[in-house]
Amino acid sequence: MNTKPRRRIVWGHLLLLIVIVGVVIAYLLDTRAASLRINNLLLVQPASILALILAALVLPGIFPRSEATEEEPEKKETTGDLVRVFLLIAALAGLAFSLETIGFDIATFAFMVVALAICGEKRWWVNLGFSAIFTVALIYGYGSITPFPFPLTIL
Amino acid sequence: MIEFTSVWGAFALLGSDLNAWLYLLPGLVIGLVFGAMPGISITMAMAFALPATLYMDFLPAIIFLTAIYTGAGFGGSVPAVLMGIPGTSSAVATTFDGYPMARKGQHNQALGIALASSVIGCLMSYLLLLFLIAPVSNVVLRLGPLEMFAVAVWGMLLLGSLAGSHLSRGLLAGVFGVLLGTVGMNTAGFTRGTMGIPWLLDGIPQIPAMMGLLAASQLIGLINTNYLITDESSRKISFSKIVGGVRMALSYPTIIFRGSLIGVIIGAIPGVGSSISNLLSYSETKRNAPDGDTFGQGNPKGVIAAESANSSSEGGAMATMLALGIPGGGATAILLAAFAMHNIVGGPSFIANNKDIVYALIFSNFAQAILLLFVGLGFVYVASYVVRVPLRFLIPSVLVVATFGAYAIEGSAAGPITLWVFSVLGWAMVRYSYPVAAAVVGLLLGGLLEGNLLRTNQISGGDFIGYGLERPWALLIFALMLGSLMLQTLSKRRRRKQTEREAQANAASEAS
Repeated sequence: MNTKPRRRIVWGHLLLLIVIVGVVIAYLLDTRAASLRINNLLLVQPASILALILAALVLPGIFPRSEATEEEPEKKETTGDLVRVFLLIAALAGLAFSLETIGFDIATFAFMVVALAICGEKRWWVNLGFSAIFTVALIYGYGSITPFPFPLTIL
Repeated sequence: MIEFTSVWGAFALLGSDLNAWLYLLPGLVIGLVFGAMPGISITMAMAFALPATLYMDFLPAIIFLTAIYTGAGFGGSVPAVLMGIPGTSSAVATTFDGYPMARKGQHNQALGIALASSVIGCLMSYLLLLFLIAPVSNVVLRLGPLEMFAVAVWGMLLLGSLAGSHLSRGLLAGVFGVLLGTVGMNTAGFTRGTMGIPWLLDGIPQIPAMMGLLAASQLIGLINTNYLITDESSRKISFSKIVGGVRMALSYPTIIFRGSLIGVIIGAIPGVGSSISNLLSYSETKRNAPDGDTFGQGNPKGVIAAESANSSSEGGAMATMLALGIPGGGATAILLAAFAMHNIVGGPSFIANNKDIVYALIFSNFAQAILLLFVGLGFVYVASYVVRVPLRFLIPSVLVVATFGAYAIEGSAAGPITLWVFSVLGWAMVRYSYPVAAAVVGLLLGGLLEGNLLRTNQISGGDFIGYGLERPWALLIFALMLGSLMLQTLSKRRRRKQTEREAQANAASEAS
């Protein structure tokens, strides 16, 4: 009778590896499509193949036996904790993609309000006050020492 | 090696011009403040001050700019230690042990160590410059793409030591970083991996990617924590502990000397500079340290190695700039621009005809380094208060500052978007025990590796070995690299045998 604990799947790790392997394969194919000359493939092709071999070596770590503990960052945190992480990532995406469209002032203020709330600031007046002061200070402080003008809507 | 008539001339120049001294302090402070801001590079700080130097005499102008150079060189290590954000690429290795030290409540010591290592590294680099300016410039002219490739490969050896407990994941992260570092148009004119995005033609923006991988990913992971340092009693800001850190750095003179030597040599190579010297010095120190296994977990020796090398690169870069008129990087290019603004042409003729000015610059840099110790002590004391700020305020604020910095570097949304993509990637990598530092090293060195490999291939016509045998400096670098690897293997074996002997002796004494 087999007494070994059953293997399970660490889905997050699997997703990360799929992304890495996907990027490597897409990059290799794009490089080969650009040209098959040695000056194009000299480093990229061997490095891509090496990356794929290494990814194959990593694969067993995604299917650990049930008793293994090292692959379980999920167990230390609640679903709520993870949701907060994803919300913060989404808010940061909103900031990065909207800065030039809606202006640095509005985008920064909106991000600060949302991110402070996600990070646990429950007092709304502290949240709004800090976000407003921080936005103004950053726009005028940072803006005065950088060579590029920040697109603004209100300030 | 030293011409004493010119030395007296230098003293006379510095003694007769009060302005040469007046600009030291403002230069250092501007450099420290700019360098400590994520996304503001040393070059940007110097470029910001360049127009002001038009109205100064030549010597005060150059001293003012070099003071900014020195201040910003250290300033970058402050966010690297306190928040894991490498303000510049030269502070990457500082984050490896500086940030874990801060997380353990040793932020005061870590900053003191970084400051002392920077000051001594800077002093030593200019001391070496004083004696070696002529021979160093002679060597730099003999370095070709194969030698540069050898230096980059040496930097890549760091990947092995960064891998931690999962070697395959570390190597995968490193190779993935190298591939990402080659995205865009290579030196042979082939365009790969741009997905039709115009700004990727120049490659993935390195600083925003680094900030995302190393810092933003960490901050996102800290969302469920209240403070940077969990233990309340460890959050204290202590001047005596900062000074204790300064003293601790002084107790490792070998690491500082090795870091400074690596910094000067690598810093002198145009296009390579401090972004690799700190990694090489860190890697060599880890290889040689008896407690190398604890590097990456908050070992002070890692901070000393990184900081002594990145600050001493300034001296190396100045050697190339003064002796050959070649700017090794952005900062020395700004200095050459300042030369031009004063109708002075840098290079061999400048050094031959104006040795007194060159010596005056070197001596003023000694003064800068010493002054940096005192100004830096005050600066890091104030900066340390960041550990007392609750993370619910710190995380959004730092993310916004990093986003602004990423925009300031690229001048478009390319910076913030890169920062975001690499933050998510970095967060996932940290979560599943991939060393993000290895990906950063790969990203930094990928373009350099490919460019120099291509040039070597073109020059040698594909005969790498035949060409390599004709390049004594490349052979020397490869020999040094192999020697270093062999020494590491021998010292590891010796340590293992010693541990076994001790275990046997303990078992025997327990049995009797």
